[in-house]
Amino acid sequence: MTHQREPERPLLAPGVRYRWDATREQHQLLFPEGLLVLNESGAAIVQLCDGRTTDEVICELESQVSDGNPADDVHPFLARLTEKGLLRDGNS
Amino acid sequence: METPSPYSLLAELTYRCPLQCPYCSNPLELDRFSRELETDCWKRVLGEASALGVVQVHFSGGEPLLRDDLEELVSHARAEDLYCHLITSGVKADHERLEQLKEAGLDAIQISLQDSRQAENDWMAGARSFDIKQSAVQAARQLGFPVTLNIVLHRHNLGQLEEMIELARQWQVDKLELAHVQYAGWALRNRAALLPTAEMVTDAAAIVEKAREQLAGTMEIVHVLPDYFQEFPKACMHGWGRVFLTVSPDGAVLPCQTAREIPGLQIPTVETGSLAEIWFQDPLFQRFRGTDWMPEPCRSCDRREIDFGGCRCQAFLLTGDLAATDPVCHLSPQRSLVDDAIAESETAGKELVFRR
Repeated sequence: MTHQREPERPLLAPGVRYRWDATREQHQLLFPEGLLVLNESGAAIVQLCDGRTTDEVICELESQVSDGNPADDVHPFLARLTEKGLLRDGNS
Repeated sequence: METPSPYSLLAELTYRCPLQCPYCSNPLELDRFSRELETDCWKRVLGEASALGVVQVHFSGGEPLLRDDLEELVSHARAEDLYCHLITSGVKADHERLEQLKEAGLDAIQISLQDSRQAENDWMAGARSFDIKQSAVQAARQLGFPVTLNIVLHRHNLGQLEEMIELARQWQVDKLELAHVQYAGWALRNRAALLPTAEMVTDAAAIVEKAREQLAGTMEIVHVLPDYFQEFPKACMHGWGRVFLTVSPDGAVLPCQTAREIPGLQIPTVETGSLAEIWFQDPLFQRFRGTDWMPEPCRSCDRREIDFGGCRCQAFLLTGDLAATDPVCHLSPQRSLVDDAIAESETAGKELVFRR
């Protein structure tokens, strides 16, 4: 695999959509012919992928939670989504 | 065991199509099924699908762009929070139409191609269509849709596999789906002329593997292997009545789109009840759900929840028994039916019957 750089300003790639599935009570990321089930933390990150920088995503998460270190979650999670082609960079 | 909700609805809006591919998945006896559901009925079906837990709807056919109400249906599906995927031949997919579909909320597009070469493509499709398909891909890309190019593979085009991959790269599609023919319907009628040799299949796998390495990170390649040449059957529909359901142009509700031509099945329709009632209660959907229905060697097989006994339609079409182990499986007592078909195809004539 060619290694793709994690985007500076992560945005969902074209055709990728976040959705709350009321039937199954789960967070989902939808893309052509597939879906990824997200946990609470993944869903929180994805919903902040709106053009802000990754650092700003982390800052926002830190302001929302009192314990834990969101940065530990954010980088590996965004790297995984990037590898799957589900993110693009708002800078490019 | 509790029955899970389906994830995916194949909405076959029409069987009409400008192309005549000899491996078409339309029914052979099309005249029996020429009625088409009205717009309002499809809207009800889409609402019921969403309520049932369906996540993605694949608008297909035939050629779904022949329906003038496609935009209205896409818009309705989006309002029902469904992910909308269009499966098209690309014919009729001009920029203006795709733009309207974009506005309606369409999420992604899959466009079929028959061959990497214009003359061969147009011959296999039974109509001049190569240039139109290329324009459709360009328009879809310009509008920002994720684009999958789907090419059905068989004896007549496997030699162009490298060209197909290069063409998909040049056309800058996101995903190339290379799917070997599944031998049901028209494809079964044309089987002797479409089946490749084992050597061609092995070569194809090597070519795809190499291209995948070279194109990693730029274009995804999905390779649907030809089950006749495998040791185990395909996990058809990921199990009967488990993940997918199909609603056909005339309203038949099916576990897979091929099942309607199997004689003697009582097939529910959208008038029989809601999609939820049909999914959870209809005998057709119950019939091969889970593993209780399985004969040996499936019943005691470690793979019974991996391939689910294979394809029910293929079992019927080749053995006459809908509940038989898919004869593609090397453990099936009837595997010789498949081996004989492969052997016969090596000497058979290569004339094709085009879909009418």
